[in-house]
Amino acid sequence: MAPKKDAKAAPAKKAEPAKAAAPAPAPEPDVVAAPPPLDLSTVKVEFTPDQHEDYKEAFGLFDRVGDAKVAYNQVADIMRALGQNPTNKEVRKVLGNPSDEDMAAKRLEFEAFLPMLQHIVNDPNKGTFDDYVEGLRVFDKEGNGTVMGAELRIVLGTLGEKMSEAEIDALMQGQEDENGSINFEAFVKHIMSI
Amino acid sequence: MECLNDGCPKTHEEDIMDIPLDDPEANKAAAKIQASFRGHMTRKKMKEDKPREEKRQEQK
Repeated sequence: MAPKKDAKAAPAKKAEPAKAAAPAPAPEPDVVAAPPPLDLSTVKVEFTPDQHEDYKEAFGLFDRVGDAKVAYNQVADIMRALGQNPTNKEVRKVLGNPSDEDMAAKRLEFEAFLPMLQHIVNDPNKGTFDDYVEGLRVFDKEGNGTVMGAELRIVLGTLGEKMSEAEIDALMQGQEDENGSINFEAFVKHIMSI
Repeated sequence: MECLNDGCPKTHEEDIMDIPLDDPEANKAAAKIQASFRGHMTRKKMKEDKPREEKRQEQK
């Protein structure tokens, strides 16, 4: 194991008590076992020198303390800034499933961040234009390529990784037409354009 | 909620009941879409903040 990574040692210790808390001593055959913790040491970082420089610069922008590190709870945003769209769950997973306290208090250095970013970049299940369009089409009640803004707001606030009202307002700004409808293909194109 | 007449307006609750709150596939699809939205909003905000950030970095 790489000696310099303080990020790994703590999560490994914390994972044990959580597993021991399960009531059944012998797991039943149809109970889904908890997935093994992610092993980042197997991830081969394959960024070009230019990318490395760009990522380091972006990483530096998020360092508000000046210790060449960023807080765990900033990692999702840095990855987004670098063009990725990880779910919050995926980010917590690459961080080693830290507690809420760890998310706020722990800091991560750039070299430890890189394999995490690479893992997200390598994800074969990344969402595509078609995924998002088909996901929204479920709510196209009239089958005319539009969804009601009001309904989309409810979905975003109650399903999946719920969005806050502020997030939803920011997202939906200027997207609904005079009838409160959204053409979802155009919407997804707009979302993916930046 | 008792409806006394025929012309009962569609309530907010009925809208929510159309939404598959417990469906893991629907939640998974929603999480993916939300992730793309959050990514978009972060990048948009970074773009808007860029001139200010560059100034701050220069002053470091």
